[in-house]
Amino acid sequence: MKKNIVALSSHIAVLLAVILTVGIVGSIAAAKSGSEGANKFTGELEHGATLRILENDTAIKQGYLGELIAAFNQKYAEYGIKAVDANMDQYTDLENDGPFGYGPDVLYQANDRLMRYPDGKHILPLPVETLSCYEQVSEKAWQSYTNVVGGESYVFGVPVNAQGPLLYYRKDLLPENWETEWDDDKNGVPDMIEYWTDMYRYSKQVKTQNGGKKFGYMRSFLEPYFSVGYLYSYGGYTFGNNNTDPSDIGHSAGNAHLGAKVIRQLASVMDERCIDDSVTTGAYAAIASGEFFATVTTPDVYTMFIDEMVAAGMSREQAEENLVTVTMPKLPASGDLTDESQGFVDNKMMGGVQGYAISSYTKYPNAALAFVDFATSYEMVLRRNELLGIVPARGDVAEQVGGLSEIINGNLENGNIVVMPSIKENSQIWTPLQTLFQDLAKDAFRTSDIKYDTEDKIKAALKAVDKQIYDAIFTLKD
Amino acid sequence: MKSNVKKKTRASVFFNRCGIRCKVLFHKIGVAIVNFFRRMRAKIKATNARVKEVLTQGNGKVSASMLIMGLGQLLYKQWIKGCLFLAAQVGFILYFVFRGAKDFIGFFTLGVRESNAWYGIEGDNSVIMMLMGILSIIAIIFYIVLYVANVKDAYRIQSAVDTLKQPQTFTEEMRSLLNRNFYKTAMVLPILGVCVFNILPIVFMIVIAFTNYGGEIVPPALIDWVGFANFGKILSLGQFASTFFHILGWNLLWAILATALNYFAGLGLALLLNKKCVKGKVFWRLFPILAYAVPGFITLIAFKYMFSYGGPINQMITQAGGTAIGFLDIDAKWMARGIGLFVNAWLCVPSSMLLATGILSNLNADLYEAAKVDGANAFRQFTRITLPYVLFATMPVLISQFIANFNNFGIFYFLRGGLYLPEYFLASDTDLLINWLYNMSIDNNYYSIGAAISIIIFILTSVISLSVYVMSPSYKQEETYQ
Repeated sequence: MKKNIVALSSHIAVLLAVILTVGIVGSIAAAKSGSEGANKFTGELEHGATLRILENDTAIKQGYLGELIAAFNQKYAEYGIKAVDANMDQYTDLENDGPFGYGPDVLYQANDRLMRYPDGKHILPLPVETLSCYEQVSEKAWQSYTNVVGGESYVFGVPVNAQGPLLYYRKDLLPENWETEWDDDKNGVPDMIEYWTDMYRYSKQVKTQNGGKKFGYMRSFLEPYFSVGYLYSYGGYTFGNNNTDPSDIGHSAGNAHLGAKVIRQLASVMDERCIDDSVTTGAYAAIASGEFFATVTTPDVYTMFIDEMVAAGMSREQAEENLVTVTMPKLPASGDLTDESQGFVDNKMMGGVQGYAISSYTKYPNAALAFVDFATSYEMVLRRNELLGIVPARGDVAEQVGGLSEIINGNLENGNIVVMPSIKENSQIWTPLQTLFQDLAKDAFRTSDIKYDTEDKIKAALKAVDKQIYDAIFTLKD
Repeated sequence: MKSNVKKKTRASVFFNRCGIRCKVLFHKIGVAIVNFFRRMRAKIKATNARVKEVLTQGNGKVSASMLIMGLGQLLYKQWIKGCLFLAAQVGFILYFVFRGAKDFIGFFTLGVRESNAWYGIEGDNSVIMMLMGILSIIAIIFYIVLYVANVKDAYRIQSAVDTLKQPQTFTEEMRSLLNRNFYKTAMVLPILGVCVFNILPIVFMIVIAFTNYGGEIVPPALIDWVGFANFGKILSLGQFASTFFHILGWNLLWAILATALNYFAGLGLALLLNKKCVKGKVFWRLFPILAYAVPGFITLIAFKYMFSYGGPINQMITQAGGTAIGFLDIDAKWMARGIGLFVNAWLCVPSSMLLATGILSNLNADLYEAAKVDGANAFRQFTRITLPYVLFATMPVLISQFIANFNNFGIFYFLRGGLYLPEYFLASDTDLLINWLYNMSIDNNYYSIGAAISIIIFILTSVISLSVYVMSPSYKQEETYQ
């Protein structure tokens, strides 16, 4: 009896094993294989498509997205195509949401964010030459959305808005005698607006005369976006091969140490607030109150200054008259803000390009492309400029609106605005650079334990930061 | 000369005591481990005996239940139960055939085909496969448990029939689940919840530590198993290993200091506000409670601003003719650490105070009267009556506070985030392991390394907490206070 039971148990075990094995084999056989798709842009609009559009918060708040969607929906009503607000966070991560069908169909983001997606093929390569804006957007702007995937070069986004830092200053705070004392070349432009050497001299004077209560130029060095340009101006770069090769990190390249010297020198005519970011949000009020004569920031915050100046008692007309934005002053070729003998070099700055891309997970690629074409048309970009004050990447619109738009587009064209690298390794440059700039600015206020009093020490610090970025990217890669 | 000898003697007595305590601690831990394995061996033996009994004593109907779940019960005319077991087996087989097998195998392969969204190729997503694989393993474990319950139930019915007892009907068993065995019914949902919301994410995090997930290897790229390679990297990669040990040292010091400071400051405040001579106790107690009520990150941001160069403290210093101080800047290693301790105390002392206030209200005042009569001064009363009593009652809370402080992410993230110092790899001198883990996983995408660090954190905090608990009066003198 016992033997029978034991034999029965072993049979049961075998049978169970067979059932499980058959199940497993059957399941594997039942697994489906995906089918390969062809080129998605066939030109045939998908009737009845509903496109989810991801825009930035400002465009939504200022009502631009509403206008854009309404105009598009009206034009494509005959095809039953409808665009809607994707109603997602403006920095939504397509990498995680897209494959599961939660991402938007069309995205509007800055080039450094959008260009993280091509490696995983999360956004589609676009037939940009078919778009109406193609001829009007500069080569540099297109480059910021170009990437090589699988050995082929593709364009993944359509530039809409160029961004780069500008110098803001209060015209009414210029010294009364500026035309005689501060305009050596007699060109009608104050020297401190044209040259960092004069800005340094003027800032020193303002700070001394006011016992450290008022300042000429003031800006936190903490943000690499605004500080790394000093290194670029003297031959430094972020990634080699036009910001596409992360194995070549060049913040210490060329004479970049001269840019670091400039930062250290400029910090000395400010106060310690340039070391951390406490001055950043207060800059609007400080410019309005006259505590600062000048600062550097992006063009999109122009109205914040005006609002503060109005709050400080000026009329809006007065404020707009007194607040002037200009391109960055020139830097001394010597890298010494007290030495003009070697001439000047252009102050390059980091910039960015914002634009549209199409998700690879969209069911309606042709309708999405039609939307991008519509949103980047002359009329819509012009309207975007009117409502949001953006700098259009389209040359014809920039020419039409003139002013800042022309300046920034010009800087983008002549290379004085260096577009943020469009590779995902770019996300690993910020903290090491932020630490470096904080340390350089701090050095201007150190008394006994000065770190960067020689060029060799500055060069070593720049090399160390390049190594730190390299290690962050590559140490754990293998 | 004499004082030197005295100091040396004191020091040697202190170190001897420490040595003895450590020996006792390690001995206790050793005994606990040995006992644990002894108990396990006894349990395995008992289980083996039960299995043997079922296999040798079970009749044909029990064997039928072994072959097809519920068949034995059906043969005993327990229709509903038999059908339920049968349905469970059919359900599991269907799940396994249509889904489970694929998920189970996927857990080991982590995918063989990359997806390509450009061409609509739906490849394998290793992360999802890993998750679904874990779920399939949980389902298999659940099925095995159900299978064993089914066999045990059939054998129980056989035993009842053999001893001429009436086996329980389905209705009676259901009734017992609502009465005598209600705890089993009540535990079903929590156990399911724990499996899905606790065990699954924890197991997921643990298994990620054994993969190459992160950096370049993120879906749609396929992830692979790499064994203990990530742990090896943490301990062996030059700059990486040194950063780990630097941060670990500071993290331990921080956890001990922060826990002690919060605990004793809270206790001190509670004792102070317990004094009869203090007027307006409710009013004074309100202030720490207000600090406690403000969301932590708002407080942290406010403190960051206060200690910044443009903040009110530096404004006062510069207005008084002084030079601004970089309380939290790049050079402020120990000052920033001190400020971190202070801000953490600001956030946590109120809860310690409230806890101590509650416990002190239960303390028998006669003990103090008796101590006074015996000539004990206030300090002696504190060390001999108050502290042992409060420590006994709060040791588990103290341990949880230690763990919370060890893993205190917010303090230095908000006060001094955004710094990578040259001597550290992707970290600063105030970062704790949890901040480093964040820098690795979120800022730099090294998920697998982050997971490996989190396992190390878990092991460290578990060992320290258990050791402290074993040494604590809460464990040693549990009966004394009951």
